[in-house]
Amino acid sequence: MDDLNIPASVSTPAIQSNWQAGVLAMQGDSYPENSYELFSPVFEWIQAFLAQESKPLSMELQLVYLNTSSIKFMMDIFDLLEDAHRKGASVAVNWRYDRQNERIAELAEEFREDCTFPFDIIAKN
Amino acid sequence: MDSPDLFTLRKNFTEKQIMLCFNGPISRSLIEEIGIALKNYLTAEHAQPSEAMDVFAVYIEATQNIRHYTMLRGYADADASATVVISRNESGRYVVSAGNTVEAEDGRVLMERIGALACLDKTELKRVYKEQLRKPRDPAAGSGAGLGLIDIARKATAPLAATVTNLDDGRVFFSLCAVI
Repeated sequence: MDDLNIPASVSTPAIQSNWQAGVLAMQGDSYPENSYELFSPVFEWIQAFLAQESKPLSMELQLVYLNTSSIKFMMDIFDLLEDAHRKGASVAVNWRYDRQNERIAELAEEFREDCTFPFDIIAKN
Repeated sequence: MDSPDLFTLRKNFTEKQIMLCFNGPISRSLIEEIGIALKNYLTAEHAQPSEAMDVFAVYIEATQNIRHYTMLRGYADADASATVVISRNESGRYVVSAGNTVEAEDGRVLMERIGALACLDKTELKRVYKEQLRKPRDPAAGSGAGLGLIDIARKATAPLAATVTNLDDGRVFFSLCAVI
């Protein structure tokens, strides 16, 4: 599976993956009109990683604003991680946010409510 | 045709504290461009980051809802227009208003949904939001996932206000207003 390296646009986040290190990272805003195009390669990458690897996978997020269609795709991704976690895989999410903007922490918290794997919400200055 | 009376228009904008408005066919890139302008205005006005994000979020959900609707109905450009106004009210709160032409029946359904959402408090809105989030996608409903209106209601500090106005062709002009 090829690693992802997608640059950010006005309405889409930057996305990088590193299969070797077991890391998938996303930074920025996500509010494209069609979220499917953006999220399907991310979803497929994570699915392939979880199916083929036994090493840990971590998602390093610095997402800021997400429209509702991006939120729905992120939920699908976290459901995928939750499923893997319940089958014994080692998965984790680290979501860093600017402490000035509590909305991001609230958004991340609502995702975390439905997850039992390690999900850290980290304020940065 | 008379030339547009810019002075009266300007007076109206000033009185209503309108910081940004748009009327016409709306495209994906136009939503992004106006969004950038809106972000810049909010930064220049020193809005709190969380408040600025709520205003931006409501603007995006409202305009993308209009785009999804016009595509779903296959409207031509003239009917795929949106009217968007971002202003402040007497108490200094930001107000996001967005309107578009819809089929009379769709207008009726929208008014019912908004009426139902208006009866819910923040906790109930969150429950309805999470339920909607967990529903399987309806391929016919575009990528809106039915979450937009609930999200707008959650970000508003007062119940959403909406009106429908009858048009000559049997359709209606639907207008939604959210105080942030």
